[in-house]
Amino acid sequence: MTELLTGLSQEVVSGIALGCIYALVALGFTLIYRATEVVNFAQGELMMVGAYVNFFLVSRISANLGITGAWMYFIAFMGALLFAIIFGIILDLVINRPLRDQPVFSVIMATISISIILRALVAMIAGPFTHIQSSPFGDGVVSFNKIAISVQDVFIIFCAIVLVILFYIFFRKSRWGVAMQATSADPTAAQLMGIPVKKVYRLVWIFATLVATVGGILLAPKTLLDTNIGFIGLKAFPAAVLGGFGSVPGAIFGGVILGIIETISAGTLSYHFAWIKEINDVIPWLVLIAVLMVKPDGIFGIAKVKKV
Amino acid sequence: MLKLVGVETFYGKVKALHGVSLEVQKGQLVCILGANGAGKTTILKTISGLVSPEMGTVRFEGRRIDQMDPEEIVALGISHVPEGRRIFPELTVYENLLMGGFLIESGDLLRERLEATYDHFPLLKKRRHQLAGTLSGGEQQMLAISRALMLKPKLLLMDEPSLGLSPLLVRNIFRTIRRLHESGVTILLVEQNVNLALQIADYGYVLSNGKIFISGTYEELIEEEKVREYYLGEGKYIRRSRLWSG
Ligand SMILES: Nc1ncnc2c1ncn2[C@@H]1O[C@H](COP(=O)(O)OP(=O)(O)O)[C@@H](O)[C@H]1O
Ligand SMILES: [Mg+2]
Repeated sequence: MTELLTGLSQEVVSGIALGCIYALVALGFTLIYRATEVVNFAQGELMMVGAYVNFFLVSRISANLGITGAWMYFIAFMGALLFAIIFGIILDLVINRPLRDQPVFSVIMATISISIILRALVAMIAGPFTHIQSSPFGDGVVSFNKIAISVQDVFIIFCAIVLVILFYIFFRKSRWGVAMQATSADPTAAQLMGIPVKKVYRLVWIFATLVATVGGILLAPKTLLDTNIGFIGLKAFPAAVLGGFGSVPGAIFGGVILGIIETISAGTLSYHFAWIKEINDVIPWLVLIAVLMVKPDGIFGIAKVKKV
Repeated sequence: MLKLVGVETFYGKVKALHGVSLEVQKGQLVCILGANGAGKTTILKTISGLVSPEMGTVRFEGRRIDQMDPEEIVALGISHVPEGRRIFPELTVYENLLMGGFLIESGDLLRERLEATYDHFPLLKKRRHQLAGTLSGGEQQMLAISRALMLKPKLLLMDEPSLGLSPLLVRNIFRTIRRLHESGVTILLVEQNVNLALQIADYGYVLSNGKIFISGTYEELIEEEKVREYYLGEGKYIRRSRLWSG
């Protein structure tokens, strides 16, 4: 019995860590959805690109500059964030701006194309290999009365919390954060206030790329790095629906819940009920369907106030 | 101060303004009247840059503004209180005002303007941490006007500020507009409430199907048979002198 509890607790923590990653990706597309009503299906691929850039930088920094250890990871991390900013600006320029006056549907198709192009491009540049991304914390674990938790998981949870707090402060307290909310709610009224909505949209894409990149960097050591890692990002979609599509707290909450469900079903549940193993991959989607049937607005469901 | 000459504005292929010319002098309160769909809102949107005219020019203080972005036009000193108020319902009253002052760089100046607004509308101060969507219609209109005044505009565009308000609140709004006008703000007002509008306006334009079909002062317009028939209804208008007594 205690063994079961220990196992479950471990899975919950590990599930929260995985969920934090879903939450970051879900946060990214929630931001874009709120601001532009576009569901960005490339969000998972942004995560994948971020993870690859980080991997590339880590190996270059150690090979070419001879820097290793904590500095190597830190510099690579910063480099990947810088890349994310530039990448976000480019995405705004190629997806958002030219398609601004087109139906939302066209923009969504464009994000799907971008996701395919990105996967192909990365496979072309990096080769069709599976890489192993080392963690700055190695296989380190911390344990609290018999529950062993990997340091990487703790770090993931820590980073996600810090990011969410930063976002919260930015949105509630800063002029540009409030302007972003205003633009999401009513771009025309925002323009009449003198808010430069084009810059706001650019900022939204930069943020979405940044959170995806952080998600990718944090996720890579937990799994293997290949071009299909973006499909994990796609699971952020049921996460966002679970929390209530379009709600920022919902995206975070939904992500964490989904991470926990998934880890427990892959662990303890599969161990006790062999058949669960067979359906592990579809569990997020089963959750999605269940939520849509029972509470279509999600847990934090926001009423749709749409102005014309 | 503001001058439109032969302005033609389209929505896609549909022409909404068929060569509109009008002028607002500094310090004036000018009113645009006209039935639904006449193009009143489109005139204001053209001035504030939300839509660009295909033909004609819009000049503000001698400078052409017809191809500028809305944010540039706001920065020149034209603020627009849009039709239907368009406050940000999920932001607080304070945040709405903050957005009205988005272009103010100095924190001191911003605080000063906020204080001035709260002095004018103590109610907004009381509700400053409330979500704007929870305000009543009249309060939302006050907020929409205050928000536009945060930048101390030289010219204020107002689109049907009395729409959907009770008669008492309509009078309140008109008092506010008159007070603003008297304090020196130049105003271009779009109204359906012809009686009230003409009585506070220095000059009125009557718009029909995207064309100015008549213009003049209050006295001139109420004498005009057509205006009376279309918009006033015989005998329904109140004398200017009696309006503010009650
Ligand atoms: N966004 C739009 N797209 C297409 N047509 C529009 C749009 N806005 C207004 N119109 C048309 O332009 C004309 C003028 O509209 P508007 O300026 O809103 O009139 P008013 O404010 O006087 O009621 C109307 O015929 C209206 O149907
Ligand atoms: Mg109108």
